[in-house]
Amino acid sequence: MNFLDVHKKQLEAATKKRMDLNLQTPVDIPEGVFVQCSNCQAALYEKVLKKNQHVCPVCQNHFRIDAKTRLEYTVDEGSFEAMFQNILSTNPLHMPGYEEKLIQAQKTTQINEAFVCGKASIVGYPCAIGILDSHFMMGSMGSVVGEKVTRLIEFATKENMPLIIFSASGGARMQEGILSLMQMAKTSAALKRHDDMGGLFISVMTHPTTGGVAASFASLGDYHIAEMSSLIGFAGPRVIKQTIREELPEGFQTAEFQQQSGQVDIVLHRQDIRKTLFQLLKFHQKVLYDSL
Amino acid sequence: MGKVLIANRGEIAVRIIRACHELGLETVAVYAKSDADSMHVKMANQAICIGGNTSTESYLNKNNVLSAAIASGCDYIHPGYGFLSENADFASMVEDCAIQFVGPKSKTITAMGDKANARKMAKQAGVPIIEGSDGDIENVVNAIEWANKIGFPIIIKAVSGGGGRGMRICHNDTDVKNAFEKVQLEASASFGDSRLYMERYIASPRHIEIQVIADTHGHVVSLFERDCSLQRRHQKMVEEATSPIISEITRKKLNNAAIKLAKNIEYVNAGTLEFLVDDKENFYFIEMNTRIQVEHPVTEMITGVDLVKEQLLVAMGKPLSFKQTDLKVNGHAIECRILAENPKLDFRPSPGLIKNISLPGGLGIRVDTHLYAGYQIPPYFDSMIAKLIVHGKTREEAIKKMQIALREFAIEGIDTNIEYLYVLMHNKDFNAGKYDTSFFERFRYLLTGDKA
Repeated sequence: MNFLDVHKKQLEAATKKRMDLNLQTPVDIPEGVFVQCSNCQAALYEKVLKKNQHVCPVCQNHFRIDAKTRLEYTVDEGSFEAMFQNILSTNPLHMPGYEEKLIQAQKTTQINEAFVCGKASIVGYPCAIGILDSHFMMGSMGSVVGEKVTRLIEFATKENMPLIIFSASGGARMQEGILSLMQMAKTSAALKRHDDMGGLFISVMTHPTTGGVAASFASLGDYHIAEMSSLIGFAGPRVIKQTIREELPEGFQTAEFQQQSGQVDIVLHRQDIRKTLFQLLKFHQKVLYDSL
Repeated sequence: MGKVLIANRGEIAVRIIRACHELGLETVAVYAKSDADSMHVKMANQAICIGGNTSTESYLNKNNVLSAAIASGCDYIHPGYGFLSENADFASMVEDCAIQFVGPKSKTITAMGDKANARKMAKQAGVPIIEGSDGDIENVVNAIEWANKIGFPIIIKAVSGGGGRGMRICHNDTDVKNAFEKVQLEASASFGDSRLYMERYIASPRHIEIQVIADTHGHVVSLFERDCSLQRRHQKMVEEATSPIISEITRKKLNNAAIKLAKNIEYVNAGTLEFLVDDKENFYFIEMNTRIQVEHPVTEMITGVDLVKEQLLVAMGKPLSFKQTDLKVNGHAIECRILAENPKLDFRPSPGLIKNISLPGGLGIRVDTHLYAGYQIPPYFDSMIAKLIVHGKTREEAIKKMQIALREFAIEGIDTNIEYLYVLMHNKDFNAGKYDTSFFERFRYLLTGDKA
């Protein structure tokens, strides 16, 4: 064996050793830098995901967002003024464990009830806006949520302001039983009065809008906007399937499905919602009618 | 000592691997499937395939590049030029994974990547920019006001204009008065949009850039200028250092301006500030490239500084190995970009098999390339296949060397622009240093006889 061959052999052995991935210590990635998309499993860089309004850039899967983030993406910066924050839930039916659940939810979400509301502006157009946060007990509607929704509607009626509500809810709050169900009638009646006064109500249904919320104020808008790929319906697909014992069509109760059925006027990508709301507010501005 | 992932391909990957090995750093190459036989894959200590044939699937795939660095336990990522080198998201991802990005901080890349913001920062640092009207001009009175504020000569342009139409150069108030309505009419007729804006007009501009490098200890050093005015369709073709036209005073002013701006934005690592210089040697900042550039070798030749090595040292947190006072211009360097393109067929790319290759050599001749005989150039990437750099005592000597080197440079199997460059090196205007960014339009006429 001549010098060159020996050298070549040594090189090959060294390279082989270096190429062995088992001998290498990978870099430690800190928690929270990457998020996995629940739909397409892509690893997404958190900062990019935020820039993309929490929509997966690969498969357009809309991540669930809390009320604070929703406000950030929807209204003008610094324009939001919260209202009716002093109304708090009690446990009127003495349901065991309800208080603990409320405290837990308040701790994790940093809000005191599932409905955040107030006045804000969108590209300068003022509006009354309310957002249901699905992170707070599945955005369920108890007496307090119902009362806050009603007061917001009444505020909009009184101030002659357009009203926008983003719903995301599992329905009526079980722990408050019949009291929760009464909220459906109360909010609907308030909306009727708002409508009689010529008020505008834009309902934006996000994932999921179901149960008592879908069956009351969320379905009573002048415009029904649905966020892409949201689940919208009264009872969930599993319950329906078990009751009627039939296979459900593909995409049943998705926003797109509900648009075809006429329940929803338009299905929007999250990044288009603010723009569309602005166009609707501009189109319906009262000043225009008054000056005519 | 450390491990560096080279997130690039071609000649620059080869260039970076060499610098790493010189410093005793281990190297990890990444490659697309179509690049499996590429030189950088063979040279690195380790190579990881990061995806399909095209750059989108591989070199531009942030997650894959980063995954390769994480899995192989890299301490540094060198992005080279192009691809992810000026991608702020990628730099930020790398930072968050506690890997050192060989380049500036992600927030600097974001700040300088936004042109309007970069202009603002330049203005704050007292570096001149091309003044313009901030928005549309409503009428003639308005136009004259703006023109006097900006300073003559000015150029009136249509907002939706382009291709040389809908614009007029004005030297005084009367010109503006005469031109304004005409341009407005022309604009609304041609583009259906009569909105106009105005900016300072720069006669026969030269594209001159200043190389800077800064360490984490607050030292900022300027390595003089490069003249990159020879551009074909905004693609640089020949670069030289130093510029044959600017005076020692202007050189000093440019260097000072570049250092001031780099200091103001707390710049770290190698960067280039691009300026337009008019025929009266007034200069205006255009933008900053926050990475190593293709034409960095010409600066290396005249200063004796290995820029890529310094980049790596800065990334390690070490101070620069030299001071501003250590630097002086030594001779003249020229670089020609050798492209796999056919100039006779409108510069159509010409990928294919390199049957044979013979590189030029000798004192002051440098070839940066990833080519070897038997290499198949894949059709998916940039057509630059080599950089030929010469260094002489004077510009004349450098040109002479370049002529000879180009004559020696032989590549069989594909079409290249070597002959075209050879003709260019004999051009009278080029030899006299009399050229600006529109040179190739005239040069084309000389070669083919048909007007543009």
